[in-house]
Parts: sequence; C-alpha cells; structure tokens
Amino acid sequence: MQFVRFAVFGLVILTVIYWAVSAYSRSVRREKLEEWWDELDAEGRAETDRESYVEDGMSAYDKSIRPKLILLVYVIPIIAVSVLIYVIN
Amino acid sequence: MRNVRRSIRILLLVIAGLYLHYTLPHHDVARVTGVSDRLERLSGIQRLFYNQVDMGAEEGDMRDLRLINTERVKTYLFGLLRSGKGVMVYRNEDTGVYPPYFKFDSSDLEAEAAALIGKEDQWVVITHYGWRIRWMSIYPNAVSISPVEGPEYRPFPWFNLFFFAFLIVGFFMARAMWRQFVERTVDPAVESFEDSYDEGKSRFQKWLDGWRRK
Repeated sequence: MQFVRFAVFGLVILTVIYWAVSAYSRSVRREKLEEWWDELDAEGRAETDRESYVEDGMSAYDKSIRPKLILLVYVIPIIAVSVLIYVIN
Repeated sequence: MRNVRRSIRILLLVIAGLYLHYTLPHHDVARVTGVSDRLERLSGIQRLFYNQVDMGAEEGDMRDLRLINTERVKTYLFGLLRSGKGVMVYRNEDTGVYPPYFKFDSSDLEAEAAALIGKEDQWVVITHYGWRIRWMSIYPNAVSISPVEGPEYRPFPWFNLFFFAFLIVGFFMARAMWRQFVERTVDPAVESFEDSYDEGKSRFQKWLDGWRRK
C-alpha cells in the first residue's frame, strides 16, 4: 500500500516537473526564434513574416529530439529508485 | 520589516539544514559489539523520530526495537576531525519509502551485525541517518554495514556530494524557469492589461497621468 501511494504521488510530482520543463523549453526556443527573425530582418534577409517564421521553427522543434529528451524526467528517477532498492537491500 | 524577513529566511535555512543533516546518510567507522532486541512502547515525541515496524507488519501498541551496539571512531565537523573512540548505539528499522532509503531488510542487517560480534579487529563502515538524542532515547537508524581494513579508513560522502550538486543545479534551473515565466507570460499579460485600461480612460485622465509621471 505504501508503495502504491509512493508511486502515485511520485508520478504526480514528476508530471508537474515534466510539464514545467517542457513549457520552459518551448518558451526559450520561441524567444530564440523571435530573436533570430529580428536579426534576419535587421540584415534585410527575412523571407517570411515573423509569425510564420516562429511557427515553422516551433513545429521543427516539436519534431526534433529535444522535447523527447525531457522524458528523462521520468526515466532518471525511476532508474535511481530501482538502483537504490537493489543496493540497500 | 527587513529584519523580520531576514530572521524568517535564516530560520527557514536552519530548519532545512537540520532536516538535511538528519535525513542524509552519514558514515561511521565502527566495530560491532552486540545486537539487542527489546519491546518498547513509543511516546508521541519518539514517534517523530522512529520509523515503522517491519514492512508488511501491523503497527501495534507495543513493538520490537532492534539495536546494534558498537564502538566507533569519534568524528567532529562532518567527519573532518576524528579522535578517540566511544560507544554508539544504532537502531535497525525498516524505512519503507520515507526517508527514501527503501530499506526493508532490517532482519538481514541484524544477522550481518550479529555475525560480526566477537570479531575484535573487524572494522566496518556503518551507513546511517538520524541523530542520537540520549534524553529521549532516540537512535540513528543504521542502513547498511560493510567491512573495511581498519579504524584509519576514511569514508567519502559521494552520495552527499552528488546530492548537493543536484540540489544546486535544480535551484538554478527552477530560478531560470521562473524568470522565463515572468518575462514571457506574466509581464506581457500585465502590460496588455494596463494598455487596455489606459484605452478606457478619458482624455482628461490621460492628461492627468501625463502630469503625474513628471
């Protein structure tokens, strides 16, 4: 029973962390894309308008490996707890 | 006001520090001299420190308390200084999931400790957490026992090193995330609210605002 409670509670916390980290990562990426577009625009090389440049960049980000790496938020603690249980007992 | 805030901050830091000192693992170099089992009825204040009966068993009015008697090398300042020898008694209890040591093998640990009784020159490292509070009969909880060459052996707190590194990284990560959230989400929302508020004002009010700003 103790373990079930621990697992449920742990998963809730990890989900909050996962959600926060992915929101942060997306936000940083969006900010960078906006800055890149501003640079391109200052050099007069901007081919598309700002909004579609950023949206294209975001969909490329969604397809890349970076958002999947955030799943490590779940993987690492589970491995750590398993190793701990094995080592201690 | 600033003093009040500062005192609260210091108090919170002290509580966090004490909590970590209680919960994080420490290593003692010791020699097992005996194990004992006794029936106890824990008081309310003792229950704060004691953990639980063996995993799977039911908590009752009375319970067994397993103890490991040792002679250990005395240490000071988080193990930096060491001098002399003294006795130390550890309790041997299952932790379950909190504090997260996931220890369910108290009986095995008792057997390991019992096997060391009488071996005069077999020194071991006892990993434990908790404090010895004599006037309340509180004992640190032994988590594991592993043999070492002799009393000169100096254990290195690898786990604590990584733990604090992780804590610092986590702190800066959380701070960066919070700042990004404020910069990209809170501030624009406040600005757009202020803009829409300004639009609703009459020309006279705007003129007044202009004077106020100067």
